[in-house]
Amino acid sequence: MSQIPLSLNAVSKTFHGKPAVRDVSFDISAGEIVGFLGPNGAGKTTTLRMALGLVAPDSGSVSLFGGAPEIDKAFGRIGFLPEERGLYKKQTARESIALMARLNGMGRKEAFRTADTMLETYGLGEASRKKNKDMSKGMAQKVQLLSAIAHDPEFYILDEPFSGLDPVNQQALEDMVREIAQRGRTILFSTHVMEHAERLCDRIILMAKGAKVFEGSTAQALSKAPRRLIIASQDTKLTDAVTPFAKKLELRSDGALTLTLKEKAETQSVLERCVEQEITLERFEPKAATLHDAFVALVGSDNAAGDVS
Amino acid sequence: MKLPSINLRRTLLIAQRDYLGYVKTVGFWVSFCLPFLMGIILLFIASRGINVSPVRYEAVLDETGQHRAAIEALHDRSAAQELEDITRRLLEALPNDDKAQNLIGTIDEKGFVAARTQISEDYPLISAQLEKAETAASKMVIIAPPVQTIEGLKPYLRGELMSDYEGSPVKLNGVIHIYDAGSLQVDYWSANFNALDAQNLASRYFRNVATERYLAKGGLNRADYIAAHSQAVQVNSFDPTKLSGGGDEDQAVTIADRMPYFVAFGLSMYLWMSVFSGSYMLLTSMLEEKMNKLLEMMLASTRFSEIIFGKLLGIAALTLTATLPYILIGLFGIIGVIAVGDSAVGDGIISAFTPSLIGFFAVFLVLGYVFYGSLFIALGAMSESMQDAQTLTTPIMFVLMGCMFVIPLGLSTPDSPILIFASLFPLSAPFAMIVRLPSDPPLWQLAFSVAMLLIVTLGVIALSGRMFRYGVLSGAGVKGLTDWFKRRILRRQSN
Repeated sequence: MSQIPLSLNAVSKTFHGKPAVRDVSFDISAGEIVGFLGPNGAGKTTTLRMALGLVAPDSGSVSLFGGAPEIDKAFGRIGFLPEERGLYKKQTARESIALMARLNGMGRKEAFRTADTMLETYGLGEASRKKNKDMSKGMAQKVQLLSAIAHDPEFYILDEPFSGLDPVNQQALEDMVREIAQRGRTILFSTHVMEHAERLCDRIILMAKGAKVFEGSTAQALSKAPRRLIIASQDTKLTDAVTPFAKKLELRSDGALTLTLKEKAETQSVLERCVEQEITLERFEPKAATLHDAFVALVGSDNAAGDVS
Repeated sequence: MKLPSINLRRTLLIAQRDYLGYVKTVGFWVSFCLPFLMGIILLFIASRGINVSPVRYEAVLDETGQHRAAIEALHDRSAAQELEDITRRLLEALPNDDKAQNLIGTIDEKGFVAARTQISEDYPLISAQLEKAETAASKMVIIAPPVQTIEGLKPYLRGELMSDYEGSPVKLNGVIHIYDAGSLQVDYWSANFNALDAQNLASRYFRNVATERYLAKGGLNRADYIAAHSQAVQVNSFDPTKLSGGGDEDQAVTIADRMPYFVAFGLSMYLWMSVFSGSYMLLTSMLEEKMNKLLEMMLASTRFSEIIFGKLLGIAALTLTATLPYILIGLFGIIGVIAVGDSAVGDGIISAFTPSLIGFFAVFLVLGYVFYGSLFIALGAMSESMQDAQTLTTPIMFVLMGCMFVIPLGLSTPDSPILIFASLFPLSAPFAMIVRLPSDPPLWQLAFSVAMLLIVTLGVIALSGRMFRYGVLSGAGVKGLTDWFKRRILRRQSN
């Protein structure tokens, strides 16, 4: 567990002459939950495939558990959930989980026992002997996730684990990720939904157009986001009063103003100016920064285009 | 060329999954039981004497009044003669069997009926053939025409009126109409014009009449002419390569000598069937795998090569299981021939399974299956749909179908240049070389064939691993294959 599970050093990959990943470097330390964020087409899946050794980088190097990403070296230590989902339709849920556990080195009896326990724990006990083709999409996705982690690996690589899940199952998956993290496991998951990363991650890596644009804690990322303030008053002096603090001023549909503060401007200063000018405020709401705001600020709205939400 | 390394445990797990994935379905067991079920149905039909085709009632409307009785007599005589000819042919196929040769003598001297009982006792298989022939002969009955004009008979032929046969109403199938319209005319009327037995009977009768008239001009008769045929010298067949104790008789060709060719042909067909069905199952299994989208997850803990070999093993076991009914039926057949049939045939079959044939069969079965199987897995990985798969596999299917036309040459012309080429060409070698084995092909050809197939198979394994990886992770379809080829092969050559 003391080894760094994953280290990427200046890896690049080009498909059909188009760069998919450009000069990306990062380390994942043991016990971390790291969010790998970016819009569709940002190069997340290719990077994860290179991390697993499924795709060889054109340049740069990958170190998985201190060595080249080879199955024998990392055998049984990785749980991988790919972006594309599926199960053998004619297998039952317990057979699917047991098969993957056995492929990761577990014995037959232990694999089936683990499958039964996991299905029970995660609310799928009744579906244990149901064929995968007869399960709902949400249930099938849960079964696939359980298949990926049944052998209790040290390092979880989950590619878009929340995609396609309804809110209830998304919450259940978040709980599962927290529970895994509590056991000291390392988790790297990609997503284009920033909220999951905000709630779960110790650290995030932002990707855009194949390149890494940010790496740091969630707080550090949020500090990159522009600060916003929603302010409303019947007083016509308001706009003139706040303009010196504003990088951008937008009129909302409800008549209020959204103020994007300049870098050195403070919320407190805006409030003080309003008080000085005897402006009666109907609304004064500092708006909490989101990772999405941070992402847009970091890469620009054009580069952030895609399915980032 | 680097050959892939594999972990046996993971490979066997993949094999087990693929095997059970098919075997645990109801459809598989229905297919498995079908040959046995068909066999039972056929045995039941045979044991009950159920005719597959119905008895046809034919009439002869002879306006000349000269031919009807003769045609009916020919029909009766033909049936008896046919039985005698069949018996004679079957007994003549056993030249080393004294009992059989004595029975031919009995037929010549006392007639077929005298020999029939003895045949039933000594040769149950020949007797069964004769019973079938007797049944076939009774399927045409000549009855008296219900009316004496062709116009009057047409409603009977159309089924609007029924004829009478021994007090029962029967449908008249056809009428042989003989009349004089300046010269003798014969027409055959029937709504069921594809049933040619009555028409052939009439044709044979009038050919005989013509022959008799011709012979009569020279003062000869047909009975003497037929008797002259039976005095023709028999042409015996000898094989100079056969071991001899000194006399030519030892080198006479027997059914046992011919048996290895039939056995090799059977093995070649089995090999073709196994490779064809196994490869096709691998293709569909690979397509199913792609649609299930589980491969990428498996690849985190399993090598590409382990998935390919696992699938090859699993489907090989499945093919063996699926073809087990045919193997068992074949074995029962051989045991049956040995136990109750002609001992020469049984001995011939047993001696046909030489260590060389069994060894080469095993080599070609494994190499042929791995070669085609790897190729089909790779093409399955490059496909997104059945249409893609069909497009990509069409050229290989053509080669496989072509082999089906070449294999039978091994029975009649094992020295055919096409067959020799096919036995050296790696894609057809597994099937063509097996069928050539009884004719003792030169050792260099055998070595070349195996070596070429081995080299090409190793190449295909390495190539299919790359195609598989590309198909699973990067692209698919015909375009995917051409892209891959351009990038991996053409670029490499230009470097």
